[in-house]
Amino acid sequence: MANPAPSTSTAAREEWKGGICVLTYEPLDVETIMRSVSDDRAGATAIFIGTTRNSFQGKVVTRLEYQAYSKLAIKTIAESIRNAHNSVSPSAHHSAHHHVPSLISCAVHHRLGTVPVGEPSIVIAVSSPHRKEAFAACEQILEDVKEKAQIWKREYYEGEREEEAEWKANNC
Amino acid sequence: MSPSITVLYFAAASTATGLFEEVVELPASEPLPLSKLGTHLTSLHPKLDEILKTSQWSVNAEMVSDADSDMMLKGGEEVAVICPVSGG
Repeated sequence: MANPAPSTSTAAREEWKGGICVLTYEPLDVETIMRSVSDDRAGATAIFIGTTRNSFQGKVVTRLEYQAYSKLAIKTIAESIRNAHNSVSPSAHHSAHHHVPSLISCAVHHRLGTVPVGEPSIVIAVSSPHRKEAFAACEQILEDVKEKAQIWKREYYEGEREEEAEWKANNC
Repeated sequence: MSPSITVLYFAAASTATGLFEEVVELPASEPLPLSKLGTHLTSLHPKLDEILKTSQWSVNAEMVSDADSDMMLKGGEEVAVICPVSGG
């Protein structure tokens, strides 16, 4: 049974040309997220799916729970998408005369609440004319989200009391 | 009525205080430097002490950087304890 969540850990969505960020309590649908970045100009779509692992340092994980300071987390994730658009540079073989975007669209969906083992907690999809930029942006966005997004994960282990479940930290 | 702020607690801070949010009156009813908020909150919730050492602040849903550490709280702000994150 899921524990209560802060009232500020709400579902949220921000969408603009080139980016979509979603925080949701619903299961993540990879197909739908992939389709949301599709574009005729895209030659490549890179997808990252982060799933709940069943173990941590020898302990059996029974579930993860995520909560977010949603209004700030969604801004932070949107910023990481904008940074990717600005910083992932176009492939060398594009001539300077053609304006070809290096990225077309980026979608980041993060699940909140209980995420059972094996299910996705985050899905990132990036479309681009070329594979190099798609891979680079997907990884950069993931690392940014892990470092900065105001989202917290709690890990529950088999045989341990719920109240003692640890809040994890990404950079410790 | 004395000025107050809303403090939001997440993750470990929430477990330590037993709260998700709290209305905190500014001590002495005057503007409070953000740099002193930690001490004040720890006086209300001693278990916050360790957590605040590794946490950052956000004020009105914007992260506070070291450059803004002399920010003053006047009342009405939404302040969040942002302990080390673990999304993704």
